[in-house]
Amino acid sequence: MKRFLTGLIAAGVIAPAALAQDITLTMWTESSTAPEGVFAREFSEMDNGITIDVREVRFDDLVAETLRAFATRANPDIIAIDNPDHAAFAARGAFLDLTPYVEASDQIDMDNYFDGPRSSLSWDGGVFGIPRASNTIALYYNKDMFRAAGLDPDSPPQTWDALLEAARTLTDADNDVYGIAFSAKASEEGTFQFLPWLQMTGGSFEQVNGEGASDALDLWKTFFDEGLTSPDTLTRGQWDSTGTFNGGNAAMVISGPWELGRMAQDAQFDWGVTLLPTRGPDGPRASALGDFNLAIFANTEHPDAAFQFLEYADSQAERVWPEFTRMPSRKDIALAPTGNDKIDAAAPVFTEQLQYARNRGPHPEWPRISKAIQDAVQAALTGQKSSQEALDDAQSQIDRVLN
Amino acid sequence: MTPVWQDRLFLAIALALAAIYLFPLYWMYVTSLKTGSSIFAVPPEFLPGAPQWDVYTGIWAEANMPRYLWNSLVIATGVTLVTAGIGAGAAYVLARYRSLWIDAVLFTVLMLQVLPPSLMVTPIFVGFSSVGLLDYPRLAAILAISAKTMPFFIILCRAAFLTVPRELEEAALVDGNSRAGAFFMIALPLARNGILVGALLIFMQGFGEYVYSASLIADNRLQPASIGMTNFMEPNVVNWNSIMAFAATYVTPILAVFVILQRQIVSGLTSGALK
Amino acid sequence: MRRVLNTLRDGVGFDTLLVIVALTYLLLFAGLPLIYNVVISFQHVDIFSLGTLFHPSAGWENYTAIFTDPLARTVLVNTIVFTLASVALQFTLGFAVALFFDRQFPGAAWIRGLFLAGWVMPGLVVGVLWNWLLSGDFGVINYVLEALGIIDDPIFWRSDVDYSLFSVILANIWYGMPFNMILLSVGLAAIPDDLYEAAELDGANVWQRFWTITLPMMRATIGAVLALGIIFTLQQFDLFAAITSGGPAGSSTVAQYWSWQLSFREFDFGRGAVISVLMIVVVLAVALIYVRSTRAETRL
Repeated sequence: MKRFLTGLIAAGVIAPAALAQDITLTMWTESSTAPEGVFAREFSEMDNGITIDVREVRFDDLVAETLRAFATRANPDIIAIDNPDHAAFAARGAFLDLTPYVEASDQIDMDNYFDGPRSSLSWDGGVFGIPRASNTIALYYNKDMFRAAGLDPDSPPQTWDALLEAARTLTDADNDVYGIAFSAKASEEGTFQFLPWLQMTGGSFEQVNGEGASDALDLWKTFFDEGLTSPDTLTRGQWDSTGTFNGGNAAMVISGPWELGRMAQDAQFDWGVTLLPTRGPDGPRASALGDFNLAIFANTEHPDAAFQFLEYADSQAERVWPEFTRMPSRKDIALAPTGNDKIDAAAPVFTEQLQYARNRGPHPEWPRISKAIQDAVQAALTGQKSSQEALDDAQSQIDRVLN
Repeated sequence: MTPVWQDRLFLAIALALAAIYLFPLYWMYVTSLKTGSSIFAVPPEFLPGAPQWDVYTGIWAEANMPRYLWNSLVIATGVTLVTAGIGAGAAYVLARYRSLWIDAVLFTVLMLQVLPPSLMVTPIFVGFSSVGLLDYPRLAAILAISAKTMPFFIILCRAAFLTVPRELEEAALVDGNSRAGAFFMIALPLARNGILVGALLIFMQGFGEYVYSASLIADNRLQPASIGMTNFMEPNVVNWNSIMAFAATYVTPILAVFVILQRQIVSGLTSGALK
Repeated sequence: MRRVLNTLRDGVGFDTLLVIVALTYLLLFAGLPLIYNVVISFQHVDIFSLGTLFHPSAGWENYTAIFTDPLARTVLVNTIVFTLASVALQFTLGFAVALFFDRQFPGAAWIRGLFLAGWVMPGLVVGVLWNWLLSGDFGVINYVLEALGIIDDPIFWRSDVDYSLFSVILANIWYGMPFNMILLSVGLAAIPDDLYEAAELDGANVWQRFWTITLPMMRATIGAVLALGIIFTLQQFDLFAAITSGGPAGSSTVAQYWSWQLSFREFDFGRGAVISVLMIVVVLAVALIYVRSTRAETRL
């Protein structure tokens, strides 16, 4: 056999380098056109002997698929995972602790990341990945409708009261216009959208029924009871809700930077973005933190090669805004102009909002906490429970998970 | 009312019913041509204001459509062959006899169909992975999907075999045919329309199957169109028009083939076979 | 050896072989996974120990947890309503359409084929389309109802707790009707014409012919269609995920969706499996009824 191989090498059939060090890594992600998918292709084309095979897994199936694969040791080397799901894997030792790698790295500096993303991938003193990008939510508003309703398009609502007042003024049932659109869906999206309001009252995912917490839910309930938002907000995600804003059927919408591309193209009106209104005039700010982290599985055979890819992804962080309309998770990177006025005007708003973005968790049983919150929101908004009752019930569920 | 007028009246009613029923299909085509936001317009746009025809060229170029369709075809064909190959014989026997044993088998077959694939896929994945079947992903998907479709097929074909007059089969046995001969020469041909309809329905199911294929086929290059379609769904961004265009591209030819074939099978063969 | 071969070709052996092959296949690929579900319903399953069959025993703990869950009652009622309403209407409409197209007017066979669209379309797409059609604001259904003057204000089909389950039923009837229709069409086509001709000569009217010929002759088909219809309906998942996500406030959650939620959203596989076991019990009853019904089948 050996002689046969030598013969092949001599004949130039097999390049010796290929025998010695070619490494193939697998990576799972929700989309090969997402930053890490594109970076993986570039990285594979480099002359470093490492190839990354990318498998696209639908977002809804990603965690279940990964669990099954991990249970049978058929998991990939690298995964891009939604940040609230990160802790479940990190806490169980499924992901590689990158602390020694990061310390030795010239590229990755954990202090460069915003607090939210950094907290999402830390567990028990260890660092279990790097953020690929971040997003958060803010308030989009239709400036033309503001003008038509006699509101100042340059001073959008800054407090809850002002938001409610604006929603009342802007709602125009005869012309099928709701004051505000958002998502209170019974899914992670609902939690994502509701938590910031709760946090602005001083609450957190660990404490959902504290002083003033019910005000947050009552605010949402007022939107429903007074017909300021579509009843379908209960079963509609953020993307479809924002679709109604783009079509001129909602005057304001709460959503994230992923909407910018479609909105810039579709919206036939003047629009702007502002920070999420706070409870009081100088009230604490809060927002949601979204997007994915990159992690390496602890059982990979090639941790060094995998980390090399993470370094490459981090080195390309400047590109995630102009090329992918996602926000870099690094404080030291300013968003480069895209050439589109509206998007460029929105950029600083989202950058500021990202500073207030809080992570969901980290907690290995995040989905159960999230479910308790969704249930409370839905029960209160459908009138089955009062806001306080609903949040009290959620709290007892959450306590059971936390303790 | 003269027969001609009666025919025309029936035709008119049939067209009206079909128009109502097919509205969601129409909505799929229309949506594929709309811009991202006009999908949500109030009042609904029944005709797209500015049809975005380039979505079709886009998905064809971008989404590896031919590869996905080929994989769907491979999986659907495999599922149909396995299901029909194994199921038809069992259905025949279950129609032929009447005993407690047969009842027990029939009962078991039905029972084994109870859980939705989303709940069956975990044990199947774990089992397949431990015996190494995951190294042959499309085969693994075919085997798993066939287990889901087979009870359905057996129950259907059993009903078809029941319509074959027993006397014909007994006559064949008297004429010197073996049991196997009677099955292949008499029962199978006479029940063929029921079997073919069943097989066609199974083919369609295999073609559009999602849950098992998504889990068992890790290699993107081997995945069917039902999975390719979901590549337009990201966590926050969903390209509905591309998804609808993708769905339209793979549903339309299948539906066309089906419309033609079912006509042959349901009416054509029946009258020929029994008369 | 020769005797074995002989019986395989020409005796009970041939029949037994046919059944055993199919049964083995099913037990292997559907029976084992089912047993796995039953087993883990009595265990504490950690999300990372999915790969093994042995987990700490939970006794009846998962079962008590499910039965005392405040959602249990709603889910039970929803599942019954969803299944009965879907199957009854799918079957009735499917039968009506099949009978209508059995009149064999010109074009009948072609147009009948178009009704199979529902069977061909991917579940995800059907779910999303109905999600939009049933939308309160921009939904076509409200638009048409308002234009016809049937309703004055939009109904929020998906988001009103009184309508949410109904909206999924509506979509499911659309989805399942073709399957009923095509199978019943095949059954109808298999009834020999001379039976009807003889009855007509005897002076039987349309109704009498339907009750005395069509229904009895269709018994096997109807039994099969109903049994499969119930099982298919119990497996319906895509429509819930796409139209209501089981909401609002659980008002449209049914057993299969709840089981999936517990298993894959809360990673409580033990409790998710409990619901599968309960569903197995229900299908047990359906299967028993079906098997009983086959005793009354008429054979030609």
